[in-house]
Amino acid sequence: MDMPLVLQPIAILLIAAALTPLISILGEKIKFNKLKDLFAILAFTSAFYALILLYFRIEDYGVQSFILDNYLPIKGGVEIYADSLSLFLSFIFCGIGLLASIYSVKYMEIDTGLDRYYTLLLILVAGMIGVAFSGDFFNLYVFWEMMCIASYTLVSFRKYRWEPVEAGFKYLVMSTLGSLIALYGISLLYGLTGTVNFKGMREALISTAGSQIPLYIILSAIIVGFGVTASIVPFHTWLPDAHPAAPSSISAMLSGVVIKTGVYAIARSLFTLFNPVNFDYGLALMIFGVLTITVANFMALMQRDIKRLLAYSSIVNIGYIISGIGIGSYILFKYYSIYPSTSLSAAVFAIMGALFHLFNHAVGKGMLFLCSGCFTHEAATRDILSLEGIGRKMPWTGGAFSIGLLTLAGVPPLSGFWSKLFIILAAFSFPQNSFMKAIGVIIVLNSIFAAAYYLWLLQRIMIKTPKIKASEASIFMVAPIIVLAIICVIIGLMPNLIINLAEKAAKAMLGGW
Amino acid sequence: MVEVWQTYMACSFILTAVGLYTIISMRNMIRTIIGIEIITIAVNLNFLALGSRNGFVDSLAQSIVFISTVIGAAVAAIALSLIINVYRHYGTLDLKKLRRLRW
Repeated sequence: MDMPLVLQPIAILLIAAALTPLISILGEKIKFNKLKDLFAILAFTSAFYALILLYFRIEDYGVQSFILDNYLPIKGGVEIYADSLSLFLSFIFCGIGLLASIYSVKYMEIDTGLDRYYTLLLILVAGMIGVAFSGDFFNLYVFWEMMCIASYTLVSFRKYRWEPVEAGFKYLVMSTLGSLIALYGISLLYGLTGTVNFKGMREALISTAGSQIPLYIILSAIIVGFGVTASIVPFHTWLPDAHPAAPSSISAMLSGVVIKTGVYAIARSLFTLFNPVNFDYGLALMIFGVLTITVANFMALMQRDIKRLLAYSSIVNIGYIISGIGIGSYILFKYYSIYPSTSLSAAVFAIMGALFHLFNHAVGKGMLFLCSGCFTHEAATRDILSLEGIGRKMPWTGGAFSIGLLTLAGVPPLSGFWSKLFIILAAFSFPQNSFMKAIGVIIVLNSIFAAAYYLWLLQRIMIKTPKIKASEASIFMVAPIIVLAIICVIIGLMPNLIINLAEKAAKAMLGGW
Repeated sequence: MVEVWQTYMACSFILTAVGLYTIISMRNMIRTIIGIEIITIAVNLNFLALGSRNGFVDSLAQSIVFISTVIGAAVAAIALSLIINVYRHYGTLDLKKLRRLRW
């Protein structure tokens, strides 16, 4: 029996995860220890290829979904569902996973138990793609927990040190509580609608008359619950501990993509179930967004640990993405009834900016964490003052690190400039609304503030006289970084390549109403 | 008249409060995990209460609770394995005595 194309990326990764320990034993038998590394890279490549095939299928035939017909409950069953938005995120998840696995070949050489490491990495990416492909809350919760359990274990992978164990425990407690709050909200939604399928829930909610208060409680549970993983302030405190404690390849995964899954879960649940024209969650998202940006910017300024600074910078960028999504939904709530077409295009523009920024941050921050891994691998320290000038000793890594910092600082013509510009322009799209203008101004001021410490870090790493001995890292570690740097530059010069995908994804997010 | 499912929902709410209190008030790591497990049970009970129709519980709610129980067990297992490692490093399970944890 042929497996449906929509199931293939997840199935490939999960089957590969199950086979990795066996492949590892085979590698030891034939005296080729890197066999498991190559197998993981092959699995990610195959899953990425399956995603490309799925992209063309969706282009030709529209949304793809899979339901077990024999077990279909009355009000819509559990469903694997892929549209442009799911695919946009899955490409990022699988792409960064592939590069992290290539990077790990050399970076994780000093560790033992790598069969477990690759198994968990494959499960992590399978879980994330599963979350993106979920058409109902049952699948979403199962894949979500699969992703979370893999990431707790990966954060505390180096359990012989105190820091990963402690950070892993903190992450586990906070994230599990977040998941349970979200599940509580889902159970209330299930009680109201009698189904967990997104489409079924939406239809049931449209026909439900009565007070909106329970729906706002559910909405808050979803924002808070998934907001812990997305690390929205004030639920962010696990992140600055977990990211530095994890191996750098895992920090790149966590910061680049895992926290984005939280944003996706919030956006997908809210936009699918609660019509943005009728529910004012945009206001809450905008406030959470600017609060996240501002608090994290101040905290970043106080850091001396390079990975901790980058972790706070990730929270800042999540703030931009949340603000962009919030601006989009706020515009629809406020202005759709007055200017339907103008407000819809402004909302698509804001959400497209947020999704474009999500891509830029995944690429840029993934690269920066991989670079910081190269630095710490060579210099055995994470202290910025001790790492002064190391970029000059490691020109390829240093060059890529500079590109990453400039991208996230929003320096034109690099890709981060465009996405920030779109979000800011969207905030000013209705000049009569002074609240949105104020949000726009706060975002602009924070962007300038963030650029200042990015440039400070750049000056420390690249311009200062080197203090320590270091040489360029292995090709396996440098190659993924160079690929990500090239992507940053190309997307900066030709943003249309991603804008088209992001626009389709934004329309898919708003579609259905 | 109070229906059975409403009683179960009230129990679920009380269990959630107990779980949260356990997490907030206790300094012991194992008690924190027990608190999380109590909240997991509360959420599962809430699902079953809301899935009951005419004295029967919907099979979808049962499936979700079944999976959620398994996930809860997996999370508890990982948490306990982390606690063992914490004990090896610090010789204590007192949350306040760990070096960097800030709740």
